[in-house]
Amino acid sequence: MASTSSRSHGLYTLLGAAAILVGWQLLSLFVPPVYVASPAATAVALARLAWGSTLWIQLLITLERLVIGLAVGAALGWVLGVAAGLDAHVRAFLEPVRWVGMTMPVVIVAGFALLWFGVGDFTVVLVVALVVFPTMYVNTVEGLRAIDSNLVEMGRVYGFSRHLLLREVYVPGIASPSIAGLTLAAGIAVRAVVLAEVLGAASGIGHSFARASSLLESDNVFAWTLVLLGLMAVIEFAVLRPVRRRALRWRKVAE
Amino acid sequence: MGGSAVISFEHVSKSFDSLKVLNDLSFQVTSGDILGVVGPSGSGKTTILKLITGILNPDEGSIAVAEGVVGYVFQEPRLLPWRTALDNVAAPLRAQGLDKAAARQRAAAWLGRVGLAGFEQYHPAGLSGGMAQRVSLARALAVEPAVLLMDEPLSSLDATLKGSLMATLKELLAGRGTTTIYVTHDLVEALQLADRIVELTPEKTLRELDLSDRAALARDWLAKFHTLV
Repeated sequence: MASTSSRSHGLYTLLGAAAILVGWQLLSLFVPPVYVASPAATAVALARLAWGSTLWIQLLITLERLVIGLAVGAALGWVLGVAAGLDAHVRAFLEPVRWVGMTMPVVIVAGFALLWFGVGDFTVVLVVALVVFPTMYVNTVEGLRAIDSNLVEMGRVYGFSRHLLLREVYVPGIASPSIAGLTLAAGIAVRAVVLAEVLGAASGIGHSFARASSLLESDNVFAWTLVLLGLMAVIEFAVLRPVRRRALRWRKVAE
Repeated sequence: MGGSAVISFEHVSKSFDSLKVLNDLSFQVTSGDILGVVGPSGSGKTTILKLITGILNPDEGSIAVAEGVVGYVFQEPRLLPWRTALDNVAAPLRAQGLDKAAARQRAAAWLGRVGLAGFEQYHPAGLSGGMAQRVSLARALAVEPAVLLMDEPLSSLDATLKGSLMATLKELLAGRGTTTIYVTHDLVEALQLADRIVELTPEKTLRELDLSDRAALARDWLAKFHTLV
């Protein structure tokens, strides 16, 4: 029954994707190509970019900035999230930081970074890290606060040291919300890196997209968009989901 | 503490907000005793256990507990979901300072004693309720406790599982001389296991029961709650 249901869901997902493709094709028939490149024209542009070194160079540049920014922002968010989750005073102290971080639009963050550090790698990485930090922080804090207090009490009754409580109860207990936070943060990071590259870089997918857009090269605009979607798909399906499965395999039986 | 008393409560009172849960309680548990504490839900039984562990402090009076590790079997298993049965039993042993290998070796032995040999690598989600409670029991006994505290350990189990786990409990405690406090709302459970039984009264004090005729006590208790008896 379960496999029939998942097969049926898979079929509907494929139908949904096909509907997008058909809609895109129909749109390209009625809208001038300078605005909407057809799927076929996009495929040709993508092949041209892939055949040369352009796609791979820009992809690697963006990926490097993305990974560094995500790692820095997520690590900082997690560490401070753990501290705030365990200590109400730290949480209260960081509350204004959290609020500003969650409220500030990405474009404003990018504007500040550009103003202070100019165009370049550091600016892009900084924007990604700053935008990712609050999401990871909030997920970590909430995850810690949601840990079953009965398990903490059990640890205290058995004389667990603070270190053992962290290792056996708190850190594994926040694995699920941490991974959820990381997944969210990765999605935000991709959007942030592209915006930062559009505004403040001379290379990368975002810069390439902006350049194609300014030259009205709609086929390249669509091609770079597909590259970005492909990057996100690889991050989610090839990295985050396997990490999640491995970290949460103890839930396998219950699920 | 006088004699061989392992636990001593002297005029202990405890309130939560304005609700008095324990009132001028005094009792002792001597070494090797299995003391049953009986009372309805909300009568303060768990509070007594938490006072012994030091998680709670009394408002009045004093509590003395002999040096040594406390083993605790909770009402629900309280196993770490992300650890195997083996590592759940081993965790308190690591807290005592045993290295990983030694802790796991002792944990495996105790899982065998509670009838769970072969289930060492199972996570709690893969265990039944009765099996999870056996892991909890193994965890409490593996630390070789000076005092074993059991807080209604059978209450979440069906009748068949209760009988099976009670038999295991009696077998494991027989001849070990572990000072034990067994808290329950079910007098019949306590009658099967305890050397002495005290009952929490509506006045929040303790009354020791006369156990010279356990069968009669059990019949009277069942008659109170089951009209077919």
